[in-house]
Amino acid sequence: MTRIRITIWAIGLTFLLLLAGLFNLEVIHGRVFKGLGERNCIRLLSQRGSRGKIIDRNGVVIAGSRMSYDLMLTPQEYPLPQESIARITRVLGKNQKEAAKALERKYPLFSMPVTIVSNLDLKEAVALGQLRLEFPYIAVWDNPVRSYPYSRAACHILGYLGQIDRWRLTKLEDYGYKTKDVVGFGGIEEKYDFYLRDEEGGVSFQVDHRGSMVRTLGFKPPVNGKDVQLTIDIKLQKIVEEAFAERKGAAVIMNPYTGEVMALTSSPGFSPEFFIREDNSLVSRIFNDPAAPLINRAIGGVYPAGSIFKLVVAIAALENKKINRISSFLCQGSLRVGKQDFKCWDTHGQQNIISAIAQSCNVFFYRLGLLVGAQIIHDYATKLGFAHSTGIDLPYEKQGFIPSPLLRKLSTLKGWFDGDTANLSIGQSEVLVTPLQVARMMSVFANGGYLVTPYITKSIDGKGLDRYRKKPEKLNFKQENIDIIKEGLRGTVSYQGGTGSVLSGLKVEVAGKTGTAQAPPKQSHAWFCGFFPFKEPRFVICVLLENGGPGYNSCLIAKKIIEEMLIQGLI
Amino acid sequence: MKNSTLTILLIALLICTLSIISIFSSTYQRDSQAWQNIYQRQILWVFLGAVLFLILANINYRRFWDWTYLLYVISISFLVLVFLLGSVRLGAQRWLRFGWFNFQPSELAKICIVIFLARYFSRKDTHSVSSLTEKYGFLRALLLPLLFVALPMGLIIEQPDLGTGLIIFFLFISVLFLSNAKLKYILTFLGLILTLTPFAWHFLRDYQKDRLMVFLNPNIDPLGAGYTVIQSKIAIGSGGFFGKGWLSGTQSQLRFLPEAHTDFIFATFSEEWGLLGALVLLFLYYILIRRGFLIAQRTSDHFGRLLALGVSLMLSIQVIINIAMNMGFAPIVGIPLPLMSYGGSSVFVTFISLGILANIDKSRAVF
Repeated sequence: MTRIRITIWAIGLTFLLLLAGLFNLEVIHGRVFKGLGERNCIRLLSQRGSRGKIIDRNGVVIAGSRMSYDLMLTPQEYPLPQESIARITRVLGKNQKEAAKALERKYPLFSMPVTIVSNLDLKEAVALGQLRLEFPYIAVWDNPVRSYPYSRAACHILGYLGQIDRWRLTKLEDYGYKTKDVVGFGGIEEKYDFYLRDEEGGVSFQVDHRGSMVRTLGFKPPVNGKDVQLTIDIKLQKIVEEAFAERKGAAVIMNPYTGEVMALTSSPGFSPEFFIREDNSLVSRIFNDPAAPLINRAIGGVYPAGSIFKLVVAIAALENKKINRISSFLCQGSLRVGKQDFKCWDTHGQQNIISAIAQSCNVFFYRLGLLVGAQIIHDYATKLGFAHSTGIDLPYEKQGFIPSPLLRKLSTLKGWFDGDTANLSIGQSEVLVTPLQVARMMSVFANGGYLVTPYITKSIDGKGLDRYRKKPEKLNFKQENIDIIKEGLRGTVSYQGGTGSVLSGLKVEVAGKTGTAQAPPKQSHAWFCGFFPFKEPRFVICVLLENGGPGYNSCLIAKKIIEEMLIQGLI
Repeated sequence: MKNSTLTILLIALLICTLSIISIFSSTYQRDSQAWQNIYQRQILWVFLGAVLFLILANINYRRFWDWTYLLYVISISFLVLVFLLGSVRLGAQRWLRFGWFNFQPSELAKICIVIFLARYFSRKDTHSVSSLTEKYGFLRALLLPLLFVALPMGLIIEQPDLGTGLIIFFLFISVLFLSNAKLKYILTFLGLILTLTPFAWHFLRDYQKDRLMVFLNPNIDPLGAGYTVIQSKIAIGSGGFFGKGWLSGTQSQLRFLPEAHTDFIFATFSEEWGLLGALVLLFLYYILIRRGFLIAQRTSDHFGRLLALGVSLMLSIQVIINIAMNMGFAPIVGIPLPLMSYGGSSVFVTFISLGILANIDKSRAVF
């Protein structure tokens, strides 16, 4: 009897153990297994909406979207039948063996439809679509992708698209970004990615153990991204870009009263299309190009200001009453400061402020700088917007740098000498500015003393952004001082010996300042920054040629641009 | 005394109802009519099984004493026939075709061996309570019956059907234990088996080795041999406390779970009915088994008692191993869950065994 008892007890105990096991599986770990079960049988096929368009001030599409066709296969059996491989490769006109290998590699064992070839053109898509009659597991799926009707135009403003990288993903995860999302890199695409990006939709459906669909569970339509309208005029943008003809440099055309940027270009450019095509050799060529085409030189390139900087010294001196309209210095071709001779590029003789600006006399400004003092020059430079970012709504803007005795003492514990002041007065030394900063400074003289905040986005999704903009800041310069400088700027173009006299023949009165910034050992950078028409300025223009020689070269570019603007009736 | 017959039949039919519900659920989404109608066949098997039960319940079990060796020879010859003529399914040769009915002789062999063991360890004299085994030496207590058991067991393992083979082996050990064989013998025997196990490894088929390895760690081969265990655990686990509801089990209906209507019907059932349903099912099995042991305890006839014990043990071993294997507690061996799994042979043999059990209780008063 006892042995029977033992057996009964043992069996009862085992049943209890089974129950405990069931409790563990179904209740304690139930949720985990439920999730696993759902992952087994629920599939999501995503459908993308189209990304928001980027349009110019007149509504012309600069970056739109078009349909791209992808070849998808729904795996049914493994390996892929040879016959269908042959047919697919014949349509694509590819080497059959290579293509077959590539197809096999992407062809998975399980369930989900997979993209085998993307970015088919319409002809191929139609041809492959017909194969579906014979091979039902082939499908051609349409998919909106970015299109660039103007190809490379405004590429730096737009930026490009690519798969999200790890750094961005960690930053943006909380905003609903996922791995493999396509996001903007640089430019408007990055700045307003959150608005431009589409909301992913898709179909969720139930599949059986072989991955074929059993029933649809739900459908969420994709939502298209919001359109972004720029202040750019694409016609003007094209004119500016063509004027550069791939020479290294940058240009900005801006409304001096509001700060709205009408053209902003950096050269050389790149084709944003290459990033869409995922053609690695083309993309890596862009990345490895020593001319750095991805950098937006207009806001992200810093250069010595050269003679352009003389305007800062001039306004500082006038405002501090160090000189007046008729004060003059004698230029004998050079000036001895300390133990060193500081040269002028010519011998100008007696110069007042107006002719000194017009002829860009170095000696005059050495003396003026020494009179004003380095710290005050620095302060005025900052007042005019140098050494900090302009606040334009584009990413990766550089701040530039303006040296000062105080900063030098704080950072390097070195002294400041008069020679440094002389160098600073003509925008050499350690002065670094961006073309946009220069254009912004020029606006102050063009608009009568207001520092504007440049912007490039007019509206998002049809809603204007004016409410969020910073108002132009009044700098409290005396009107007569501004007029003196304006007169000098006009002189640059209109005087016989003016450095920008090449622009005098135009049908519109241009005023401005040239600059030839030394950049040893390479050629100097050529600057021209000005505004027109002189009486009622509507445009500020800044042209920089990187290692482009004397400022004269930039004047030629500016001339070409303004001529073309006149022809096309943009002024 | 009719009470026991009725109780046993009632419990068995209740379990069969759950079985038919689950079989229906696991197959109703299949494309082919043949698959969808499989539950109707099970209803037929259950009906025929119940008839067999009633017949057996009215045949005096003592007749089996006389028929023991005949039954033994019949089951052996069926097993040999399987070898010669059996149809191969799922890589194993386990079935004999009788017209439209696929018969699995190893199921029959199980009950025959139970009868054989009960007869071997008891004597005809019903008045003597003392067991023979206590007086038997090593040879008669162990070696001789082992030879009798080893023959069908070897044939079954060669099919290959390791599961049923092992069940027979378990049965042998437990009947030995329950018939009061000297503990010394049993332990020696078990020790011997344990030392031989490593050598046995080499005789296992590759898939059997895989299954044993996978039992130790199902994640070695999640898409191959481990697939079934993982899917079965997912099915049971995702049921939760209340289950997903009838006809709503995704694991079984979308066929992620293989053998959802046979060996893994417990997982199918648990997915849809949850812990609550499993509790009910386990309870039903427990009272059925408990009833078997109760009958054994109150039977004074030594043969009857051993027979009742053998039948109850056979039932409990199958239930426990099958459920444990569904939960990933035991390696996967082809053992059906009695009365739940689809299959005529298993249903018939289970009902026959229960019929014998009922008759033992009924005939008790006669002696």
